[in-house]
Amino acid sequence: MSGEEAIRLSGIPDLKGTVLIVTWAEDASSLAERTADYLIQSLGCREFGEILPEGFFPMGGVNIVDDVACFPQSKFYVSDSKGLIIFKSSIPRMGWHRFLTSLLDVSKQDCKVKEIYTVGAMISSAAHTVPRLLISIVNNKEIKAALEPYNVVGDNDYETPPGQKPTMSSYLAWLAGQRGIPAVNLWVPVPYYLVPIDDPRSVKRLIYFFNSKFDLGVDFTNLDSAIAKQNNKIARLFEKSPEIKNMVRRLEVGDGLDGEESERLAREIAEALK
Amino acid sequence: MGIRYIKEPGLIDPVMIAAWPGIGNIGLIALDTLRRSLGAEQMAYIEPSEFFYPKKVIIRGGELVELDFPASEFFYHKSGKRDLILFIGEEQPSEGGGVYAAGSMAYDMANVVLDVAEKYRCRRIYTSGAAVAPMHHTARSRAWAVPNSSDLIAEFKGYDNTVLMSDIEGRGGEGNIAGLNGLLLGIARRRGIDAVCIMGEIPVYLQGFPFPYPKGSKSVLEVLSSALDIGIDMAVIDELANQSESELTRLYEKLPDEIKQQLDRLKESTVAAAESERLITEEDKKKILEDIDKFFKHDGGGEQH
Repeated sequence: MSGEEAIRLSGIPDLKGTVLIVTWAEDASSLAERTADYLIQSLGCREFGEILPEGFFPMGGVNIVDDVACFPQSKFYVSDSKGLIIFKSSIPRMGWHRFLTSLLDVSKQDCKVKEIYTVGAMISSAAHTVPRLLISIVNNKEIKAALEPYNVVGDNDYETPPGQKPTMSSYLAWLAGQRGIPAVNLWVPVPYYLVPIDDPRSVKRLIYFFNSKFDLGVDFTNLDSAIAKQNNKIARLFEKSPEIKNMVRRLEVGDGLDGEESERLAREIAEALK
Repeated sequence: MGIRYIKEPGLIDPVMIAAWPGIGNIGLIALDTLRRSLGAEQMAYIEPSEFFYPKKVIIRGGELVELDFPASEFFYHKSGKRDLILFIGEEQPSEGGGVYAAGSMAYDMANVVLDVAEKYRCRRIYTSGAAVAPMHHTARSRAWAVPNSSDLIAEFKGYDNTVLMSDIEGRGGEGNIAGLNGLLLGIARRRGIDAVCIMGEIPVYLQGFPFPYPKGSKSVLEVLSSALDIGIDMAVIDELANQSESELTRLYEKLPDEIKQQLDRLKESTVAAAESERLITEEDKKKILEDIDKFFKHDGGGEQH
């Protein structure tokens, strides 16, 4: 199957100089997926195509998640009014180069994309009450300079440690750079005890960035409500368990927890946020 | 997808030798030692992006400055009498995410390597890897030779310390070579090219651990030296083998007595696998592997290297 055969498009948007936001599934606290869903819903995006799964995912059955059989999806959405494209995808398990090349083909040739942003979560030992950082990795200096007004941390050094692999977002940014498309990988550190649950503060940090940068006019009401709801549940847990409250306070001032305490905090927060 | 040539040397009647990572990295260490010993020069590489996921990203000051892929490189050596092409693959392409090659990418990779062999009219191809054997790490590793044509059997029967599959008790001349070391033999046969896989023995109890096993690599080099009629400086591989044996002996001494006693029985099997198969049963082998796995992963975890 060639790159072209891997793509199915209908109702390609007639846009110029658009921005593409790429999100991968299986992210900590499903941050990328939740960010994509919030934008798609808030901006009334429509689906206009997909990368077909054959050749990119094993076809030996389906995974069951939360009682439901799931199948990999890689779909394109567009907000015609805001000139924004969102690609929401499972992470391909094979044929990575062809998959990313197909994505870049649609971006550049069909959608005239001028910038690409990926979003993802990093696991952090900070408390959930600490303001979320937004960290960027870029594929050229010009786009790095363009991010300066947006309170983004963009001066990290990093090398993939032995035994680990680069992220799909890094791979995409690298290939985009080879085609002359500026790309930014955005990362938000998510408190480790919210990783299996939800972290609306991190979603808000990302949406706030996109809203400021591209003047999207997003309504934050639902996100603020989710944050308030989470705060209330954790406050109730603190009332019941001063020890848990103390653990979070210690994380707030940068004191680490031992293994047993970390496990207990994660377990009790998960229970409280059910 | 393809090959990028850095140099296109004129080679006379060359032989190709290929290696990929595997158990004990036996083939890879053998070929890298040969490459260094001969001072072989790079001539080409396989474009990696079609086959591999990147292995490393380097970020400086928030900017992505480098993305590295596993290398698949060809080297050449002109000796005047026996020119060589060496192929060293840093990783096996696998669609299933395993260590060994699998799926259509593996088939494509094997064909790309053979395209180079055909372009240079290689008269024979060698691959090299590991043979898991019921032996002790203090014993000398033998080389198992598997040719892709019965015409080659007589030649390999004649080499010192070399056995064919039919020489190994209980196998009846049958077996399996996992990954590209095996696949290359099969596809070479389809293309009418003679090919032989030379496998250095590694003790059965080391097969699941990330230890290099240069003693097995040395047995591969000895066969290649005879078959190619070339002198190979064994000083480097001898030093690696001695270091490896010292390290393994140090770890071995820390094993619980019960496991050590079981493994010591393998010391008696130094020549014929037929003997060793009788010394250690399949049930013993399974228990030993479970015990060692438990020791290294839990009790002796700090000793791994």
